[in-house]
Amino acid sequence: MTALITLTGVNKYYADYHALRDINLTINAGEFFSLLGPSGCGKTTLLRTIAGFESVSDGVVMIGGKDMADVPANLRPTNMVFQSYAIFPHLTVAENVAFGLRKSKDLDKPTKAKMVEEALTMVGLAGYGKRAAHALSGGQRQRVALARALILKPKVLLLDEPLSALDKKMREQMQVELIRLQRQVGITFILVTHDQEEALVMSDRIAVMFEGEIGQLADPETLYRRPNSRRVASFIGKMNFLDAEVKAVSEEIDVTVQGLGPLKISAEQAPEEVSVGPAVAGIRPETLGILFEGETTDRKLVDGVVDEVVYYGDMTYYDVRVDGVAQPLNIAMKNLIGRPVLDVGAKTRVIWDERSLVLLK
Amino acid sequence: MSLRIYAIAYLIFLYAPIVLLPIFAFNDATIIAFPLSGFTTDWFTELASNKSLHAAVKNSLFIALVSAVTSTILGVCASRAGAMHRFRFKAGIMGFIMLPLVLPEIIVAVSLLVVVVQILDLGLSNWTIIAAHVLICTPFCIAILNGAFQNLDPAMEEAAMDLGESRFSAFRLVTLPLVMPGIISSMLIAFTISLDEFIIAFFLSGSSPTMPVYIWGLLRFPASLPVVMALGTILVALSIVLLTIAELLRRRGLARAGVKDEGGFL
Repeated sequence: MTALITLTGVNKYYADYHALRDINLTINAGEFFSLLGPSGCGKTTLLRTIAGFESVSDGVVMIGGKDMADVPANLRPTNMVFQSYAIFPHLTVAENVAFGLRKSKDLDKPTKAKMVEEALTMVGLAGYGKRAAHALSGGQRQRVALARALILKPKVLLLDEPLSALDKKMREQMQVELIRLQRQVGITFILVTHDQEEALVMSDRIAVMFEGEIGQLADPETLYRRPNSRRVASFIGKMNFLDAEVKAVSEEIDVTVQGLGPLKISAEQAPEEVSVGPAVAGIRPETLGILFEGETTDRKLVDGVVDEVVYYGDMTYYDVRVDGVAQPLNIAMKNLIGRPVLDVGAKTRVIWDERSLVLLK
Repeated sequence: MSLRIYAIAYLIFLYAPIVLLPIFAFNDATIIAFPLSGFTTDWFTELASNKSLHAAVKNSLFIALVSAVTSTILGVCASRAGAMHRFRFKAGIMGFIMLPLVLPEIIVAVSLLVVVVQILDLGLSNWTIIAAHVLICTPFCIAILNGAFQNLDPAMEEAAMDLGESRFSAFRLVTLPLVMPGIISSMLIAFTISLDEFIIAFFLSGSSPTMPVYIWGLLRFPASLPVVMALGTILVALSIVLLTIAELLRRRGLARAGVKDEGGFL
């Protein structure tokens, strides 16, 4: 894998506001990379910095080995799909898609027309060229914006919350199409999103951002299974947090978790800089279980009382109170054949396993 | 029902004097009074041969045109900056630009006269009137253009730049066509304001008066009143034609941009 974009010590200030704090980041060629975070975390600012719409206050942005400091947005090898799509309403679909080709003087008209048709076919809008851009639906605008950006064969395609304006069904369909498109063209995609599910589904790697900083940079599975901090863990999916006390650190880690007792976990379940003392342990709702009547398990069990039941159809989410644990444990159970939905107040047994525990910063 | 009567009475009150213009412009008498005494086009003929009136109209058209274009250009710059950028003291700066909207024209006229004649020691000419008219027209232009720019997605220009265009050509290719209806409205309003503006023109005109100043001069001679009526008739006809053209252009622009029609002139 070759590095395509390198950010070194990038800082951005707006007057007193520190929007980007010492960002160091390498994005590889051909990668589907996501910037994930809550609104105001700086992810869009970072994307606009790469696009050239924002200058950096400090630090270096390199694309394809070239310093971008003095390169304006129109000369960078990046193209962007805007959150609002920014389709030019006074032009037709074909004129929108062909807009970026204005500067390509060496291409004759038939070639350009062919390229436009190819780009439209690629995004599933073949034959839409003559339509007025303002008459399109949200999903179609999105596709036109994609075709308009991809026709220039940029090294990097920047996507600023491209799916946030679409309804749920359309969004899921576009997620799949974007992945397919990215594989087909082999261009590096950088996606900005606040939707953790979207990031997990689509990305090769994800940078989770908080308050202008990158909290964790990892592939989706690592991010979900081994979040490095409490804020990453609670931003991505659901997580139960339990107070813990690290007793000893060696090849394995001796830790006492409230309600679950003393146990040993492997080093990779903890942050690198783990030390003896108080800590927070995290465990995902779907890695816990409830022992229903007639089922057996060879895993560990702890007694509890059902505190809250939320029924989702395919799943039921239980909050179960366990002695010694401050907050009720959130447990996700599949509604398999023969499993009843428990009532509030029912006595039950919670299945757990120390292999699904993570220690958090 | 009573509201309907009120509305009709209101319209009559508003437009009856204007209807009188063409009636007396074609009336064969120097006294403006009923009953009408006959049909004539003499007043228009006199209008056509009046050299000093021609000069005044030419002055006014020139001043109005230059003022309209200049104040619209300034308005475009200010509205674009106001809608798309954040900067220090923005509210204060905008407030100062809009101030001439409520400033009495007589004050603008007198203070400009003092500045031009006493301080700068320049002679009065069409250009001094243009300077003052730009000052009073620009706030109107900004008020009109703000609407056009505020509806504009700031990402549009960025998208054009992202696709390889320079900042200026992004403006020319994307923003300008989208705000064109606003620009036309703005020029038209500024043109109209400048064309019939009297106080400033009266104070600041040099040896050759503008049309309103010339008409005011004519009013001292009752015999020339019908000529003024004829001139007024032509002006009314001209404004209706201009407004219609502007409205047609505006609607075409909106239809092309696919924006919902939210009022206009007509």
